[in-house]
Amino acid sequence: MSALTDRYKEMGGEIKFIKPRRCIRVNTSKISAEALKARLEKKNVELEQVPFLKNAFYVKSKFNLVSSPEYLLGLFYIQDAASQIPVEVLNPKSLTLDMCAAPGSKTTQLCERVPVIAVDSNKDRIKALENNLERLGFDNCIVYLLDSREIKKKFDSILLDAPCSGNYILEEGWLKMNNLKRIQERSYLQMELISKAISLLNNDGVLVYSTCSLEPEEDEFVIQFALDNFPVKLEKVNSIGDDGLTKIFGKKLDPTMKFCKRLWPSKTNTIGFFVARLRKC
Amino acid sequence: MLDFVSKFTKQELKYYKLNNKYFLANSELEKNKLDQKEQFFGLFLGEDIDGEFKPAFGLLDWLSKHSNEKVFVKDIGEMDFLYGKPLRSRHILRVEGETKVGFLKLIQNEHDENLGYGKIVGDFTKTEQVIKPKLDRGVFLKREKKTNF
Repeated sequence: MSALTDRYKEMGGEIKFIKPRRCIRVNTSKISAEALKARLEKKNVELEQVPFLKNAFYVKSKFNLVSSPEYLLGLFYIQDAASQIPVEVLNPKSLTLDMCAAPGSKTTQLCERVPVIAVDSNKDRIKALENNLERLGFDNCIVYLLDSREIKKKFDSILLDAPCSGNYILEEGWLKMNNLKRIQERSYLQMELISKAISLLNNDGVLVYSTCSLEPEEDEFVIQFALDNFPVKLEKVNSIGDDGLTKIFGKKLDPTMKFCKRLWPSKTNTIGFFVARLRKC
Repeated sequence: MLDFVSKFTKQELKYYKLNNKYFLANSELEKNKLDQKEQFFGLFLGEDIDGEFKPAFGLLDWLSKHSNEKVFVKDIGEMDFLYGKPLRSRHILRVEGETKVGFLKLIQNEHDENLGYGKIVGDFTKTEQVIKPKLDRGVFLKREKKTNF
């Protein structure tokens, strides 16, 4: 048992080691969901539509899908269902900034809808992003090797999938390796990034903030910081998951925090996740 | 790069060069740039490495739409080609354009999706190696192993 374990009950969740269902996202810029389904079924892959996502399937396959021609041709991306939610929630209509873009699961998901400015400060991860853009065949993304805090241009929609401590489903031994100090350090960086993101939003623009952390310090507390310090309001996230916490560890948070969603692996069969949608007013 | 393109088509290709990398010119996308220098711009066409042009799959996809220098392969040929193996005449569905030894061909599956490109090394009417792979999409697996994200 780690120091973190006891906190989960108070948050309404529990530690339960599940294996999230393997999920793919169809690259609809190359193929329709129906056509891909038919092609993969011909190869004896079992596909089941993810009920809360438009172009995603849970998959079961006797062979490694990564070695299939369909994967190599960029017809799909292997991406956990929870991780596909932020782009659905952002639902952008114009040029979008992806602030922490690499390795590119959400960037390529955005590219199916709108042109994208993708920024990341990690050179190795940027290579993975470029590789994914090439494999999926997108022509509408500009990539910058840059700390997103250096950006000046303004946007109507921004995705901030913030660097986070992760969660116990993603990494073996996560509970032992992590502690409150590390989580707090991440939280400070996330507050810095969300401040920057809001400063880059046009009035009435939308920011989606997400993490794959289940720790309130990286989720609700960051959103509370934004609500307390900037002209933003929360909008309802229509997705699966529990409502955001409005009271935790003796702290009372903004009542609209319930508009956020937190995904507990034991309840959603996904990785742990948190999503918030903010509008600048 | 244009020398490589000319082996497949006479169609004009407008490009944008960023250091040693080539991208498809895109005036609409250009308007979205930040003040800082970009690392990657739209559709990646290829790069010069040690003085030699190495095409990217963005270019091969573009060529697939503008060239008839194509070899269409059956399912079994598709898998072999993606694993870096030469194509044999039994793998071939049909050939469009030049059939002489030494010519470069785009390799397409039955859905006309580009798998890479190769060089003609044999007679398509005989049961022997006919295409030697030059680049195939199996390379993405190797790259992913390297980057490991």
